Amino acid sequence: MPERFGLRPGVRRLFRLPTRGSTARLEDVDAELDAVLQARADALIAAGAEPDAAYEAATRALGIPLETLRAQLRRSAQDRARRIGVRDYLADAAQDVRYAIRGLLRTPAFTAVVLATLAIGIGATTAIFSAVDALLLRPLPFAQPQQLMQLDLVAPDVGRLTGSDAMPWSYPKFAVFRARQTAFSDLAVHEDMGFAVTAPHVEIIRGESVGANYLRTLGISIAVGRDMDTTFDAHPDMSHEVVLGYALWQTRYAGDPAVIGSTIDIDQTPYTIVGVAQQGFRGLSGQAEMFGPLTARRGMGLAGAHSYVFGVIARRKATVTPEQATAATAALGTQINRAFTKAGRADSAWRARAVSLDAMRVSPLVRRSVLILFGAVSLVLLIACVNVANLLLGRATSRQREISVRLAIGANRGRLVRLLLAESVVLSVAGGACGIAVAWIGAHALSVVDPAATLGTLRNDGFGAVTFSSIHLDWRALAFTAGASLLIGVVFGLVPAMSVRRMSLADALRAGATGRGRTASAALGGRRALVVAEVALSMVLLAGSGLMLRSLAKLLATDYGFDGSHVLAFSLTSLPSGDVTDVFQGFWAGVERELSALPGVRGVGLGSQGPLEGLPGMTTLKSLDGRPADANDSQLFGVGIANPGWFSALRVPLEGGRMFDASDVATAPRVALVNQAAARTLFPGRSPIGHQVATVGAMEGPATIVGVIGNVRQFPDSAARPEIYLPLSQFGHQRLEVFIRTGQNPASLAPTVRQTLRTLEPSAALDHMQTMDERTGGATARARFGALLIGLFAATALSLSLIGVYGVMSLAVGARTREIGVRIALGADAGRVRRLVVGDAMTLVLVGGMLGIAGAVLSTRVLQSLLFDLTTTDPATFVGIAVLLTATAFGAAWLPARRASRIDPMQALRVD
Amino acid sequence: MPLLKGTLDVLVLKALSWTPMHAVEIANWIQERSDKRVVVDDPAMLQALHRMEERKLLVADWGVTKNGRRARYYRLAPAGKKHLAAESERFVDHFDALLAILNTRKA
Repeated sequence: MPERFGLRPGVRRLFRLPTRGSTARLEDVDAELDAVLQARADALIAAGAEPDAAYEAATRALGIPLETLRAQLRRSAQDRARRIGVRDYLADAAQDVRYAIRGLLRTPAFTAVVLATLAIGIGATTAIFSAVDALLLRPLPFAQPQQLMQLDLVAPDVGRLTGSDAMPWSYPKFAVFRARQTAFSDLAVHEDMGFAVTAPHVEIIRGESVGANYLRTLGISIAVGRDMDTTFDAHPDMSHEVVLGYALWQTRYAGDPAVIGSTIDIDQTPYTIVGVAQQGFRGLSGQAEMFGPLTARRGMGLAGAHSYVFGVIARRKATVTPEQATAATAALGTQINRAFTKAGRADSAWRARAVSLDAMRVSPLVRRSVLILFGAVSLVLLIACVNVANLLLGRATSRQREISVRLAIGANRGRLVRLLLAESVVLSVAGGACGIAVAWIGAHALSVVDPAATLGTLRNDGFGAVTFSSIHLDWRALAFTAGASLLIGVVFGLVPAMSVRRMSLADALRAGATGRGRTASAALGGRRALVVAEVALSMVLLAGSGLMLRSLAKLLATDYGFDGSHVLAFSLTSLPSGDVTDVFQGFWAGVERELSALPGVRGVGLGSQGPLEGLPGMTTLKSLDGRPADANDSQLFGVGIANPGWFSALRVPLEGGRMFDASDVATAPRVALVNQAAARTLFPGRSPIGHQVATVGAMEGPATIVGVIGNVRQFPDSAARPEIYLPLSQFGHQRLEVFIRTGQNPASLAPTVRQTLRTLEPSAALDHMQTMDERTGGATARARFGALLIGLFAATALSLSLIGVYGVMSLAVGARTREIGVRIALGADAGRVRRLVVGDAMTLVLVGGMLGIAGAVLSTRVLQSLLFDLTTTDPATFVGIAVLLTATAFGAAWLPARRASRIDPMQALRVD
Repeated sequence: MPLLKGTLDVLVLKALSWTPMHAVEIANWIQERSDKRVVVDDPAMLQALHRMEERKLLVADWGVTKNGRRARYYRLAPAGKKHLAAESERFVDHFDALLAILNTRKA
């Protein structure tokens, strides 16, 4: 009988007993083979065989050569050893993970803090990375997008006005460019347009008026029917062909293919539907439901050389490099400028440029905002990592005795390191999973941002094809998260694991006895450095967000030159038949009369433009007091149309002269109002009243300036540009913005207004009805959005570094229990002990704060373009956040300090 | 008589269900029980034992024989007991069915 049998399976592993190595296995094989042959030989001897020859005979009886059998058995033993090794390794790993999870569940507060930290850090980073990916990195959804370029005119600086390097084109300038250029295979004009579809019911459909090869240039395929006929490119105002957007085809025509060839009435003119664009394409504006010809544009014709309204998109020939295309465009720009400049005028500085469409995918402001947010959120991730490292290090320190005892009873160091590593990997994987959840929510929240409303993106300010709605959590973002979380786990899991490796038993036990061992204080020193880093990083973020918030406050407090409270705003389009001026005036007079009669209405403003909605039709000066304008006056003016109610409803003050009045009828002499900016530009130091002014395009003859009105901002973050207002009673307009001032909540007036207008003129179309506060809220939303996000990040960073300060001070107090006990026993009072601990903490905060301020001064420069009326080193902001950080850090240090002051000296001395 | 596939495992398990044995004892036990109709050669026996040890059906350890020699003794692991129960039932069932068919043909 055998004297002993092996341990039960698993027991050996449980107690970390050594398993048989592979040499031992081979020896087992040889010994067993020998034992079998011996047993056979014994049997032969018992049967009467010669003892000397018995072993030989047994070997022969095997049937195969002994060495062949030995080799077979050895080989399979080795294979087995390898398989068992892998299995044991996996079992060990599973055990490590189970052990780690049990250990983490035993300290739920620690686990929750680490998970929350990682979830916020990783989640926010992933969400913003998704936005960076969608808005800046992903290829544009067009065929060979790298060949597409946007062409712009470049207007020079004139006087005090800065020019623009992204001016739209006028059709004549575009036509000349197209005729002379050779670098591009296709190019087309496009302009955002609200098409007034008049049958079967009146409705405004957002779309684009485009050149006939617009879709071809972009490489957009046609789902049904055909593309526009390019022969109309030579006669752009003759085409009556429209292409529907896929979504409109589905909703308005239920996806019926029979719609091809039928007509749709725009402004009561029939247009033929020739095709449906590919699914998902909504124009460069990102909002177009329909693509109409240039014929369907409203307003001025195509002839005005200075009516700058068109965007131009061009596809580079495959053989032309981007540099060649840029150079060719610049060269043509100068030629075009010469062709359109009157002899003797000196404004020869108009140029043209070509930029890659990809570079224009989002407005520079959005690009900058997203990148800054990404920077901010990376800082948060960094702080989160530092915090997690800090927490893991603290946990390892507090477990030093447990670990040294394990080592003392023979635990394998490598296994212990693996155990600690498993714990941090489990933490970071779980944190990564929570982070994905946070990221999903964050990416979803970002995807519903409406850039038009929230970011105030305007024409030529990037384009709508790249939209926030294209933000979604994709695999790259997920890979990013997974990589980040695993890296954090391994790197910061290794820090405590390494300290275990270094620690000797004697050290650890001594540390336990005195509470101040060498490794304990070394670890504490490391954690202090981490806290300094955390405070410094938070300081940078706080400085950034402080600046953004102050900038927002200033922006919101800015006087835009009008009062939008209690104002209901909407757009109204009349549908013409007959003489434009006459009918329009009759229609608008009716609108003003009927709306004014409504109860609660205090004023009805009608104008071609509202405040903060960008520049109205821009044009240059034609003549001043009968003399042709000289070169220095060739700057751009906004020309708007308004009734007197526009100024009173929006409370825009009259600064001199008179308002439009009942005498300014169509047959009376032409009159105009100018804003103060225009008055200063045209008549510096003099009164403009009584002078005569004429501009190119919008107004045919000269008008007499009868009054000066206050400046109203066209953009929330820049001063008002010069504007000239013409009376609605002398200049008709088809589509106007209506502003109703009321004493009550403006939104409550909406139903009555709709009803009244429907009764007055069933064919008129009303859209974009909002309170004025909603509209201006939209204009300032970009600043709000940025400030809100970066503020959130800063708050996260601040709370994370407070957790760090609190954790380190708690540990320091724990480690110094005995010392503090002695001090108290020797007569130190509570206040003195508290000062000791708080002073210690404040030293860290001070050092971190100083480093942080230095970092902030260097790094907040990138915020300059996002700040409004504020320097990046605004002293008030810096002082404010320094005070905030100090105060909160003081609070975080106070709790451990209070605990220290309550240490019972007797108990403290008895510890260990 | 050559063994059907999988039969050797069951026979070894059955042998060990009585008492722990070493390789030669198991072979002898099978030979005696089958009236020398089933003879397992030593190489096959060793390969089978090692394979079953790896599958955790058997546990092996060194012991000393009646003759005072070292030998590797095998005993059933819990998984081996279960395997024996399941497999012997399957075999009995299988041969029962075979016999039924063969007897039918004769009649």
